[in-house]
Amino acid sequence: MKSRARRVGEETDINITPMLDIVFIMLIFFIVSTSFVKETGIDPNRPTADTARPMPQGNILIGIDTTGQVWVNNQVITVNQVRTLVENSRNENPESSAILIADEGAPAGIVLDVMDQVRLGGVTNIAVAADPETS
Amino acid sequence: MKRKRRSDEEAEINITPMLDIVFIMLIFFIVTTSFVRESGIEMNRAASSPTQTEDASKAIFVRIEDDGRIFVRNRPTDIRLVRANIQSSLAAMPGAPVVVAASRNSDAGILVRVVDQARVAGAEQVSMVAMSEEQ
Repeated sequence: MKSRARRVGEETDINITPMLDIVFIMLIFFIVSTSFVKETGIDPNRPTADTARPMPQGNILIGIDTTGQVWVNNQVITVNQVRTLVENSRNENPESSAILIADEGAPAGIVLDVMDQVRLGGVTNIAVAADPETS
Repeated sequence: MKRKRRSDEEAEINITPMLDIVFIMLIFFIVTTSFVRESGIEMNRAASSPTQTEDASKAIFVRIEDDGRIFVRNRPTDIRLVRANIQSSLAAMPGAPVVVAASRNSDAGILVRVVDQARVAGAEQVSMVAMSEEQ
């Protein structure tokens, strides 16, 4: 390296333009695909279902435990607060869809009440979390 | 532009700070992206409107009691036989909607499984209602 003299100084630079292209594309991809998901704070036993399929674009996660408590974003809320919460997240993202993560032993009445509140909040795309059948 | 510059390098825009910021943004979005892989089944909540109750005679009613007993068109059945029962009912009434009436205190897991089985049986329209206590 030392023996050879270079004609122009610029030739010593690495061309970073293709790398920059890729970095920008990655950046845009991650910005677009980021949906700030609020975890529910509980991990219930999901029921199993034959027709369960992945629900990738659910960004409102609502957990319901066996005692019928509603969990959103690591805290317990009342059923009536669900509507306000859904309305807020629909303002942020009009194409919101909700996923209810209900425990197998959760009271069905509470689950249906929460579904009603989500619909009142303007989100009609509601799914209930279920594990696909393993057998 | 016509002025003489001391060296060629000064003519270039220094992109190093921009690159720093771009990389930091990239790392931020990579870290905050959480690909939620929640699987579930879509559920349509029946609106308790008069139109829904009018065609009640044409619907296939599935009732879930407090203790988890399941009745398909008032015949007691087991969760594993729900699909066969709904299939035979659908054969008699093609295209009939399935209405799952769950008691408020029944388990959500049973409700999800019944809706799932109804879908597997080929029901096009599955809706849910909460059964009031004083029925």
